[in-house]
Amino acid sequence: MTNLNGHDLPAKLQRLIETVDIANILTEPLTQSLAKMLELSAAELNSEEASVLIRDGDEGDLRFLSAIGKVAEQLINIKIPAGKGIAGFVLSSGQPMAVSDVGEESSFYSEVDKRTGYSTQMILATPLSHGGEVIGVLEYINRRGTPPFEPFTPDEMDRAAAFAEAIAALVNAYESAKLFRDLGEKVLADDSTNDITEVREWLHGLRDSAAHREMMDLAVLIRDVASRGEAERVICKDLLESIVRYSDSKSETSYLTL
Amino acid sequence: MTTVSQFESGPSARFLHLAEDWRSATGLGVRVAIVDSGIDTDHPDLKGRVVESVEARVDNKRIVFDPSDTGDSAGHGTACAGIIAKIAPDTQLSSIKVLGSAGLGDGQAFLAGLEYAIKRRFQVINLSLGTTKPQFFSPLHDLLDRAYQAGCIVVAAANNLPHPSFPSVFSSSLISVIKSTETDPLNFGFHFGEVIELTAPGVNVRTPWLGGGYRNLTGNSFACPHIVGVIALLLEKHPEMTPFQVKSALYAIARENQKAEVEKIA
Repeated sequence: MTNLNGHDLPAKLQRLIETVDIANILTEPLTQSLAKMLELSAAELNSEEASVLIRDGDEGDLRFLSAIGKVAEQLINIKIPAGKGIAGFVLSSGQPMAVSDVGEESSFYSEVDKRTGYSTQMILATPLSHGGEVIGVLEYINRRGTPPFEPFTPDEMDRAAAFAEAIAALVNAYESAKLFRDLGEKVLADDSTNDITEVREWLHGLRDSAAHREMMDLAVLIRDVASRGEAERVICKDLLESIVRYSDSKSETSYLTL
Repeated sequence: MTTVSQFESGPSARFLHLAEDWRSATGLGVRVAIVDSGIDTDHPDLKGRVVESVEARVDNKRIVFDPSDTGDSAGHGTACAGIIAKIAPDTQLSSIKVLGSAGLGDGQAFLAGLEYAIKRRFQVINLSLGTTKPQFFSPLHDLLDRAYQAGCIVVAAANNLPHPSFPSVFSSSLISVIKSTETDPLNFGFHFGEVIELTAPGVNVRTPWLGGGYRNLTGNSFACPHIVGVIALLLEKHPEMTPFQVKSALYAIARENQKAEVEKIA
């Protein structure tokens, strides 16, 4: 257990901050994997756009974390207020929903379309769950080609649910790593409002995440190996790059079988 | 031991002396609660049909229900209410809002909403919601038993995801529904032996939505209110029916539906 009280606090924080850079490096492939999963699943579901929205704050707001399609770049970090739109309902209910005629009337939460200039006609929205909690929403928008579009089918809802399980695991790993990165930034910031109580609460929250623990064990292990010398760093890098190459060569999945 | 095949050739509606007059009923006077995201009471399809709207609020760590004028922020409850109103237009609908308000939407509010509906002894309770959290299994089981003993007929939508959700997987004390591609709202199915026994239209269903509009929606959530509507028709004609009898009647009617389908194909 990390004890933040006492004289060893600066040393402990120093060690935490040292791992931040490694955590940053580790989050990068996760975002790439997310985008790959979205591309793969959108092709499978014949969907034009796909995006991942994650819970933002405690009130049930959502923000776009990852997206593919024509307006992907514009979507990133757009926020949707709690309970608004199909995604808001899916987050709060934990149930998927398919809507085949969103653009037909004005009650659709159209803020996102207004900001991107995109015309949403149909949505298949599926909750992203991890550890019994809904952590976000996976959305597929419109079909490929030109309207009128065929509605999403029950079979496609089932397939989206299967993709959602894999994507939820990636999102959770990403969020854990990002939490740590943010913590480092908080500690490093020259801001007198930063107090140690807040940092302690963050660490308590992080400690409860198994995925985060595994991620950090890995980060610390890499740091340990890398700190031993040039030869160790080269070997470690070669080994990890070999694993990535092997994983990338598996067309059906980007994961190794253990 | 009774087998599934025996039930497949089981009693028809005629055997149960269930008159066909329910098909001409409108749900007059039947009290139905919808535990959901609220209802847009201004929607043309629902105007004058919602007699009461309450909303969950946290008060000193307890969930209480106050009269609500916030309508429906998500549209889901409005869609469910619209399906019931289409089948049983004279039903008295009540909205118990447990989703959509900031800080709510968790299992506790859902349980509190169901408990509120049972205490108020609504004849039928529409639950197009559920929870997969195991900590709610036992409290929900108790609540469903209380509903059964109070004579409240609880109809729950199955999970759309491949995991059990509560209370839809409970068997004896409620009626659970999964979507079918059927389009006739009264043409539902009953599959004894399955975890989710009833099937009803739930694919691309045209429903009322926020702002006076309509949507075509897919999900078990929209199959559930189809069965609630049918039960409202049955209860108008047979208000003395118990939850057990209603389930038997649904089974018998589904058999008639199945027979009619076979004859049509033949």
